[in-house]
Amino acid sequence: MPFDRELLKGSIALLILKLLSERDMYGYEIIQESLRRSQDAFEFKEGTLYPALHQLHKRGYLHSEWRTGNNGKQRKYYGLTAAGRKAARRSEQEWLSFTKVVKAILSKAKA
Amino acid sequence: MHLDRIVSRIILLAKLPGNDRRAEVAEELRTHLEDLAEEVQSQGYDEEALDRIVRMRFGEAEEIAGAFTSVYAPERLAKLILQSAMFVTASTMAVVVVIGGVQLIAAICTATSVVSIWRGIHREVFGIGAVTAGYCSAYAGERIFPTSLAKAVLPSVTLGLWLGALFGWLVPQHAALPLAAFACAASGRLLQRVKIPFVWFAGTAVPLLIAWALFGPLISGWQFPWLVWLGLTVSCKALREIVRLLERVFVEDFDYSENTAKF
Repeated sequence: MPFDRELLKGSIALLILKLLSERDMYGYEIIQESLRRSQDAFEFKEGTLYPALHQLHKRGYLHSEWRTGNNGKQRKYYGLTAAGRKAARRSEQEWLSFTKVVKAILSKAKA
Repeated sequence: MHLDRIVSRIILLAKLPGNDRRAEVAEELRTHLEDLAEEVQSQGYDEEALDRIVRMRFGEAEEIAGAFTSVYAPERLAKLILQSAMFVTASTMAVVVVIGGVQLIAAICTATSVVSIWRGIHREVFGIGAVTAGYCSAYAGERIFPTSLAKAVLPSVTLGLWLGALFGWLVPQHAALPLAAFACAASGRLLQRVKIPFVWFAGTAVPLLIAWALFGPLISGWQFPWLVWLGLTVSCKALREIVRLLERVFVEDFDYSENTAKF
């Protein structure tokens, strides 16, 4: 089921922070990983990932460096800073609380 | 497949501050598009389908550029404020030097005391401010509305009306000269865009002649109108050189901004 664009936009920062909390990744890899984990449900315009990455980088949540991959291609890898790890935990907690509340409202509405 | 065209369009529209950042973002986007194109190609799509799928998955250049613009808006604004402050400061200093020099020549020619200039210093301050404001507002108009002359003159006209009201309130009997100086500097700048050499001299002369025709001699010493015109013309020339210098210093912003006046 395709998700609402605004909903995806609102959760993109959390998604980036969560994925990068596991290991450093480059943009294309982040997209691939989110598609794999969501079984292709989490689909958004790939180019819009980069402004989001730059925004998080500006806030000091990400560090970045150019590395050469196995095929000799240079790619810009992103990883979490200490502030980014904190933000990832906070965002995750916030999201879980939010979905819990929404779920509660929805289940009451059904009942 | 024109990956470079997609990247260039995003970079052009995003107006990112700094050459290094632009180059880095371009490289990052290009790498992603290459990966994406490879993936789609490996699925056996032909060239036409490949182009369509890559564009569809990557998104509209305008949308991506718009998001980048928002991210870097504070830096761009800070840079713009810095550039404007530098331009206005340098312009004011240049006008002070030129007008001061012309006043000195006038004092020597008429064998009057230089100190006499100080008696009317408030008028000089208004005049210098008006010349700087006229030139800077015309230049700002060019930068903000590069393709329309009618729109480009709007900042000058608006500021001119405000200054008219301000001078009319503060120095009602001496308001005409600074306003004429404002108009001279603004029209001088506008005519400096004309490719024919020296045409802009008329830009500094015509408003003075109109003011003279309407109000008669505006200040004592008006018997040397050519000196007033010379002061305004040399000021405009100095300001033009300052504009050129700043455009060279901040060339990276001017190259990408599409802000070169085209009217």
